[in-house]
Amino acid sequence: MLLFVLALQTTLFKDLRPFGVAGQIILLFVICAGIQFGISIGAIVGLVAGLMFDFVVSTPAGLGSITLGVTGATAGLYLYFFPNPIWWLRLVSVAFASLIGEIYVLIAQAMVGLGVVIELRLLTIIAVVAAINVGLSPGFLIITRWTLSERKKDR
Amino acid sequence: MASKNSTQRRAIILLTLTSIMLVTLDLQDSPKVAGLRSAFGTLFYPVEGVARVITRPIGNAWYGVTHYNELLDENSLLRQQVAQQEGATVAAAASVRLSQELLALNGLPTLAGINAVTAQVIGESPTSFSQKIEINQGAESGIRVGMPVLNAAGLIGRITKVFNNRSFVMLITDPDFSISVKVVSTGRKTTESTVLGITSVTTSTAVPLEPISNTPDAETTTTTTTTIPIAGFTAVVTTLPAAPQGLTSITIPLASDLDVRETGVIQGNGPTRQPTVRFIDNSLRFGSIEAGVPIVTAGGSRSLAPPDVLIGVVSRVVERVGSAGPLLEVEIAAELTNLSFVRILLYQPITEKKSP
Repeated sequence: MLLFVLALQTTLFKDLRPFGVAGQIILLFVICAGIQFGISIGAIVGLVAGLMFDFVVSTPAGLGSITLGVTGATAGLYLYFFPNPIWWLRLVSVAFASLIGEIYVLIAQAMVGLGVVIELRLLTIIAVVAAINVGLSPGFLIITRWTLSERKKDR
Repeated sequence: MASKNSTQRRAIILLTLTSIMLVTLDLQDSPKVAGLRSAFGTLFYPVEGVARVITRPIGNAWYGVTHYNELLDENSLLRQQVAQQEGATVAAAASVRLSQELLALNGLPTLAGINAVTAQVIGESPTSFSQKIEINQGAESGIRVGMPVLNAAGLIGRITKVFNNRSFVMLITDPDFSISVKVVSTGRKTTESTVLGITSVTTSTAVPLEPISNTPDAETTTTTTTTIPIAGFTAVVTTLPAAPQGLTSITIPLASDLDVRETGVIQGNGPTRQPTVRFIDNSLRFGSIEAGVPIVTAGGSRSLAPPDVLIGVVSRVVERVGSAGPLLEVEIAAELTNLSFVRILLYQPITEKKSP
């Protein structure tokens, strides 16, 4: 499933750029995993997804892995604070986690010395990514639930 | 339950350590990470190909809906530009040929002597933070990391990652992009020289002007030079004297009248801000820089690009106090938002070439 999401990220969502911003469905997948299955599963899914993503983009390998891992764990905090989830609260959490995730990317890039330009466009990027993720989250919540539940049965 | 948590914790620690190790190795340009990346790319490429085929209709529909009006406007603008450029192209081609012949005659390197590979742009970066594009040619075509990438207008970036049959190009607007450049100062100069009793007046200016029409007389030759900054060539209109026969008009430029060049470093500032040129010497010899002067690559034994590849023109000069020198904002000649085909110069500086 991760391979499929990654393929969509590097093809369709690379080309569909509302306001010039690429949607981050791999980030959405990680957030949905974290929101539904908690900190540990969110972190593991984020680390694995990030590792795969790193191998197809030109940023330093491992950077996306750490970023998505931390984002997945952050999204997992949702279950800690809200053990009985409400549907609209999940959407708000997706938006918030997307915002945090994009900020983590910037921090990580700055930490390894990659050029980061602080400008107004960053707000547009964060807002568009959060909006796309909120819009797609109902579908992705079902997909992640199905994917990770299947894995549980296999064990 | 405790065992499951312990397993998960171990998995997280293991994956985190792996990631940290990969970051460290990749920042040191480890060939092992490059190998891993290449292997994953080979495995993933077919999956991506299938996804590309399936999702292409959706992408095309989206592009059609969101860019239809822009395409119409652009088409109309391009028609006008084509009409304007047709005449200029003939003169430019002649100038370029003459320049190459002169360079070859003097044993100097020219762009025409460098092999190039044409590639199609197959995608942009999957993230919104980096200014990179993906092209469909790679190591199999002789492409190496660092090679300069051009389109018809000028330099657009350089190769940063190479796979067997695809590569990533860092655009000139990426904050991590930098390359040494030359700024050609073309301030207004007037030279007058007399040969065999004939006065020759040469006027050159950095701003586009209508050609000046002068009525020639027997004693005067007037040459008006109009420099078109974007095109990067000089169109010359010369009115020859009607008489007397047997006399020749020669304009001999003084060394002090030749265009002065100053080097600096161009650096990207993201997609919304123009790249800037720094480290320009604030010397009296160079004089003041005006908007419109061309910026070209400097070349040299350590530069990743050959000399004299057009980058753009100065759009604004920001004066700075002290000895810092001016900061130049550059309007790039190439249109980076709509790239289809690019040319990769198979150029490597002497210092990068491996001895056989």
